[in-house]
Amino acid sequence: MKKKIMMMSLSMILGLSLIGCGTSDSGSSDTDYTIGISQFAEHPSLDNCREGFLKGLEEEGIVEGENLTVEYDNAQADISQASIISDNYVSENVSLICAIATPSAMSAYNSTMNTEIPVVYTAISDPVEAQLADADGTPAGNITGTSDELPVKEQLEMIRELLPEAEKIGIIYNTSETNSVSTIATYEELAGDYGFEIVSKGINTTGDVEMAAADLVTEVDCISNLTDNTVVSALQTVLDQANKAGIPVFGSEVEQVKSGCVASMGIDYYELGKQTGKMAAKILKGEAKASEMNFETISEPSLYINTEAAKNLGIEISDDFKSGAAEVFDSIVVDEE
Amino acid sequence: MALVISVLEQGMIYAIMALGMYITYKILDFPDMTVDGSFPLGAAISTVLIANGVNAYVTLPISFLAGLCAGTLTGIIHVRLKVRDILASIIMMTALYSVNLRIAGRANLPIYNFDNIYDNPVMNAIFPSGMKMVQPVVIIAVIMLLMKFLLDSYLKTKSGYLLKAVGDNETIVTSMGMDKGKVKILGLAIANGLVSFSGSLYAQQQRYFDASMGVGTAVIGLASVIIGMSLFGRVNLWGYTFAVVLGSVVYRACVAVAIRFGLQSTDLKLVTAALFLLIIVISRQLDRQGQRRVQKNLGNDKEEV
Repeated sequence: MKKKIMMMSLSMILGLSLIGCGTSDSGSSDTDYTIGISQFAEHPSLDNCREGFLKGLEEEGIVEGENLTVEYDNAQADISQASIISDNYVSENVSLICAIATPSAMSAYNSTMNTEIPVVYTAISDPVEAQLADADGTPAGNITGTSDELPVKEQLEMIRELLPEAEKIGIIYNTSETNSVSTIATYEELAGDYGFEIVSKGINTTGDVEMAAADLVTEVDCISNLTDNTVVSALQTVLDQANKAGIPVFGSEVEQVKSGCVASMGIDYYELGKQTGKMAAKILKGEAKASEMNFETISEPSLYINTEAAKNLGIEISDDFKSGAAEVFDSIVVDEE
Repeated sequence: MALVISVLEQGMIYAIMALGMYITYKILDFPDMTVDGSFPLGAAISTVLIANGVNAYVTLPISFLAGLCAGTLTGIIHVRLKVRDILASIIMMTALYSVNLRIAGRANLPIYNFDNIYDNPVMNAIFPSGMKMVQPVVIIAVIMLLMKFLLDSYLKTKSGYLLKAVGDNETIVTSMGMDKGKVKILGLAIANGLVSFSGSLYAQQQRYFDASMGVGTAVIGLASVIIGMSLFGRVNLWGYTFAVVLGSVVYRACVAVAIRFGLQSTDLKLVTAALFLLIIVISRQLDRQGQRRVQKNLGNDKEEV
């Protein structure tokens, strides 16, 4: 009998520890905010988004540690984790949830459906496809944010300018990442306009990247990256294979250029985060409602160049071209990540 | 409060999956990795059907049947093609990944704008508006208990006893003139039917399907079965199947506690693992105390153990 009681009390402790803090109230004045940031995975682009987001809030006078309490949780790319994270924010009754990357945004939208808590998302390639917004950009519910749709047209223009002779562009992507699948479609649609042909290789895990890259480099004149999380995680593998074959790799954002891609016409995720932060500030201050704000995209893509990577491959970059860049790196820096 | 409800919702949904794992792991002694594929299989099928206007309740038995087929195939690969148990299930799991993508048509399919089994005009009419928050949890509890009792009564049939016999002692089954291979295939089929059914409930609760949904399902299922059996197996309240259900809820609670206490997000899995270990060690400790008492009393209070 004693044992039964102990068993029961053990499970009670677990249960009570949840209920006990379930009622924790933000208990603050009107100008103090508590927000929850639910980030799907750890990776430099998404981390930049989060930092930019807090900076954006700060520029609007909402400063962490002063009038803002930030709760941050990372789902480590586990979907069931993402939904518990957003449920937790709902039970804490936060003023706003910031969701970084698609699965986190979808979970946050689902968790807040019967509440008044607004959700602001960022780093989502296609909010319409994810049914977070309608085709005309109006929100599906009390949710808005920014999209990181790649400037494919500008990227193709840039590749044409740097490689006047190139014909085939290779792309590796994870077939289970929705954002990649939709970006490939855009690439294929626009490639013809610039005289390119797209050769794409679908993979499923980072382990497949090496084989796909080794195969791809024999068929194409250059490789262009998407924001595909799986491929970006294995970027060094792609670069390694491409360097062996002597063909350039073009990135999709600044971090990739830093670590060895020749150039990129991409998004600055820090700026994207900042833009998102400003939207969130408006909602927190009550100046606008998430349900009435259309999602936004970065209007001007920025050019990044890595001169060391270009020199290694014998690619000439004119000073004129360099002058249009947001940032020029003269060495390859490999992050310890 | 919302977090407690969320733990109960997810815990009970995963409990149905864990019941499937209980059949394969505990009864058949078969390490079945198929679940990583059959869980999202149910999710993919029900989201696609719902997105095409099929009634959400109808998708549940269809998901169960799909899982049944997946389990049968694993069984055939193992029994007829003589592939090692874990390998057979890994082959099936790998194949299902592509199958799921094909079924859903894309990697991520939301169904926000459709009725689901928790939120539809009929259910909203049954439940008073004040109970909106607990509506899903009540529906899940009813479905989960129904599945539990169905499984319990199946295990008491002749076929159910054969299933247990195959796990305990294959020779006996053969000497009885029964085909142990067929029994194994049947067990795997039922188990994966339950897993796929649970995937369907999960996708409807989350209101979307994602191709990566199944990653780690086997681990969650195993953890639930082991926690459940070691914590509540001896108490034997409403059978072992109920212990598995409780195990699943406790596992979810561990994850929620780790998140709630705001530990470094990178350490989340480590904390979950530590809680998991703690529970097993404590329950073993309790077991030992119990045994010692039995020895002291020379079996006088056997009933209690």
